[in-house]
Amino acid sequence: MRSSLVLLLSIATTAATLPPKSVQIPIQQYKLPNGLRVVISEDHSAPTYSICVTYNVGSHNERPGRTGFAHLFEHMMFQGSEHVGKGEHFMLVENNGGSMNGTTSENRTNYFESFPSNQLDLGLYLESDRMRSLAVNQANLENQRNAVQEERRLSVDNQPYGETSEVLQETAYDNFANKHSVIGSMEDLNAAKVEDVKDFFQTYYAPNNAVLVLVGDVKAADAFAKVKKYFGDIPAQPAPPATDLAEPEQTAERRKTLEDKFARAPRISIAFKVAPGNTPDWDAASLLSGVLTAGQSSRLYQTLVRDKEAAINVSSHVEESRGPSLFILEITVRPGKDLAEIEKLIYAEIHRLQTEPIADWELEKVRMLSKRRNAEHLEGTQFRAELIGQLTVYYGDPNLINTRFAKLQSVTKDDLQRVAKTYLNVNQRTVIVTLPK
Amino acid sequence: MKTISAFLFVTVLAAQDVPLSKIERKGLAPVSREILRVKLPKATEFKLDNGLTVLVMEDHKLPLVTMRLIIQGAGALNDPRDLPGLAAFTATMLREGTASRTSKQIAEESDRLGATIAPSAPWASDSVTVAMAGLSDNLADWLAVGADVLLHPVFPESELNKLKQRQKAQLQQNRSSSNFLLGERWNKAIYGDHPASVTSPTPQSIDAITPEMLKNWHAARYAPQNAILGVSGDVRPAELRTLLTKILPWKSNTFAVAETPQTKPVQGRKIYLVDRPGAVQADVYLGNIAVRRADPDYIPMIVMNHVLGGAASSRLFINLREEHGYTYGAYSFVTARKYAGPWIGMANMRTDATAGAMTEFLKEIDRIRNQPVPESELEEHKRALVAGFALSLEDPNQLLDFAITQKLYGFPADYWDTYPAKISAVTAEQVARVANQYLQPDNLQIVAVGDAAKVKPVLDKLGPVTLFDTAGNKK
Repeated sequence: MRSSLVLLLSIATTAATLPPKSVQIPIQQYKLPNGLRVVISEDHSAPTYSICVTYNVGSHNERPGRTGFAHLFEHMMFQGSEHVGKGEHFMLVENNGGSMNGTTSENRTNYFESFPSNQLDLGLYLESDRMRSLAVNQANLENQRNAVQEERRLSVDNQPYGETSEVLQETAYDNFANKHSVIGSMEDLNAAKVEDVKDFFQTYYAPNNAVLVLVGDVKAADAFAKVKKYFGDIPAQPAPPATDLAEPEQTAERRKTLEDKFARAPRISIAFKVAPGNTPDWDAASLLSGVLTAGQSSRLYQTLVRDKEAAINVSSHVEESRGPSLFILEITVRPGKDLAEIEKLIYAEIHRLQTEPIADWELEKVRMLSKRRNAEHLEGTQFRAELIGQLTVYYGDPNLINTRFAKLQSVTKDDLQRVAKTYLNVNQRTVIVTLPK
Repeated sequence: MKTISAFLFVTVLAAQDVPLSKIERKGLAPVSREILRVKLPKATEFKLDNGLTVLVMEDHKLPLVTMRLIIQGAGALNDPRDLPGLAAFTATMLREGTASRTSKQIAEESDRLGATIAPSAPWASDSVTVAMAGLSDNLADWLAVGADVLLHPVFPESELNKLKQRQKAQLQQNRSSSNFLLGERWNKAIYGDHPASVTSPTPQSIDAITPEMLKNWHAARYAPQNAILGVSGDVRPAELRTLLTKILPWKSNTFAVAETPQTKPVQGRKIYLVDRPGAVQADVYLGNIAVRRADPDYIPMIVMNHVLGGAASSRLFINLREEHGYTYGAYSFVTARKYAGPWIGMANMRTDATAGAMTEFLKEIDRIRNQPVPESELEEHKRALVAGFALSLEDPNQLLDFAITQKLYGFPADYWDTYPAKISAVTAEQVARVANQYLQPDNLQIVAVGDAAKVKPVLDKLGPVTLFDTAGNKK
């Protein structure tokens, strides 16, 4: 067992002359008889720790008529439990020097706190009490329904291009599990009932459907003893139903045009269906995204923003799903430019990725950027706890925090070309054009 | 993967005023009553022969180095009145060509090295900031590109013309964003004629800017004797000093930073509404000019603000979101610089809840002014502010920020050592006094962006409303 982030090599004195140093995150794994997976990673560099409980549930598990429910439920987890009053959670965390939040995605829901290390019991208690005994009532449901609907207005309905990503998702996917948004529809949020909250809690918020991660200034053996004390008596539940994320094969381009009352410039959004996360093809796709849009040296910035003066900005990213993931390109176009012409330029750049190897400097660039991002992800205990929790829930392996970086670095030019050919083609493409109204 | 959160935290500064009855305290959770007292590590400080002050916060956990070069006197606050954007154009153009590298070469080289080199001149700031970050393995390589960009820009006319076109497109794009419209109108409302009122260039100033103006601005104002280089991460001060001496031959000059003009609170309640037809929320800022960073009232303001709106356990959040469901979040914050900045309360209110939300906002302001904060509530908020220091030890950038703040404002070396004790000493009387002095309902400035057809009748009841369109013109 290591006591902190371990430096494998000493500091380079004249940069670039010594091999880079690497870091190894220590991982201790345990499992309680009730099925709760526990991962503890000691780091004594600051007198702090983070706790993150990740539940294997997200919008993928929602049923028709209840979109947005996983996230609405997440809000309910802050409304009190048997031994923690309404509003007391915020008070207990903030007044003791902590920070907290909960987040919901398609694939998982997590809850985390960071605290000074003398508050280890408090973090464990808060998480165990709401896993065991959430307080569910109509009044709490009503005010959180309102808060979530305001969140939807803030992030979607009141924003330029707010609707675009929802339409992109629902057009690109066929399977209901994949095609609806995390935030959900107003109508479905209005339909949610107290019974739904109770059922969801019973089905998904069980110790055997969760991973608890502790990162920071804790002693693994002591901390695990406390985990047993606080979580050991929470009963396991029958395993939740499996979710099928498979998509039928797409055979032709899909295309829609939207009008947006807030936008002032057109936007072209393009999604390609690519491989699930934690696969060599997903890794290659994420590096291709860097070649196309990362930084001012990127191909689409140089072509569309700088040389042709056709776009205001370009961006891309690859979503990480346990099912088919989306590679998404977004190009905000200068008013007055020919949209069809710009699409042609984008496809010409993609064609180049399919037919020619990328330059040496580009490969070096995407490797360096991923190396830096990897290091940045390890900075604070909270993000490390979230990442370990997510990797464990998705792929069953907390050690991916140490090993996935090497996989990314081993991607070759041939891999990139092959993945561009396999996935970035017209039959896997969905295009949404958003026009100012 | 799209991830959405239970709360959106907008700031680290805050306050609260919840009737305690709205929070159900069971008091059963195991809490360590002891506050973990921490001693913040001090940055290593040295000065180069050219006058550049360097602060280094060492942290060798990860192979990363982050730098913030702050050049005082070169920022947007100093723009000539008829040339808003001159400082910002100078900063952005640093990357668009040097004596030995083209724009494209600078982009390729910094990206190939995995580094960020980002000069900017934020609005309302006296300083230009060059943010640089990358891996420690190749620090000397990327710092050399940063040094070239900083010292040898040539401001090519062809690149300037391209940048002007990009900026004009961006100007138009900004107006689709409610946040931009809110910030623009807010700064005009509270700063009036002060240079901090400016938040964007104009088409006219963009047309007027020439390469010579940028060259002159750079030659005069990018001066090491007025700059602070803050560095955190995997670097040794002695090695950094050697490296800087070698690759950053920056010559001092005689440019002296002018005193920042002061601001004062606006008199009389005024309400500004930007009509954004079809908006489903009213995005609201309210408040007025409050304190300078160095004002002794800054500390009680921080405590008052934490009681009122600084966190999820604060009065505004508990009242407007948890109790009434009017908004996803309701917060407040204090902005304090060399000149007095505002206390701001903010929320994104559902259009049909604007009346109720504004009523509760004003009620909470009235309450913190006129009713002493109960001792137990005050203690909790002070405890939150003090106990939270431990978490900053995880973050070398946060620690570096503390060191930079101390240096920029000329605070004593033990400023952060004594800060927790100063917070703990704030009394309920002081909280009431600063609330009365800086949160005056009769002088409240209120700015909203929303659908005027629905929101204006609500705001009309609070005072005279001046209406604008999204282009920034009075309607």
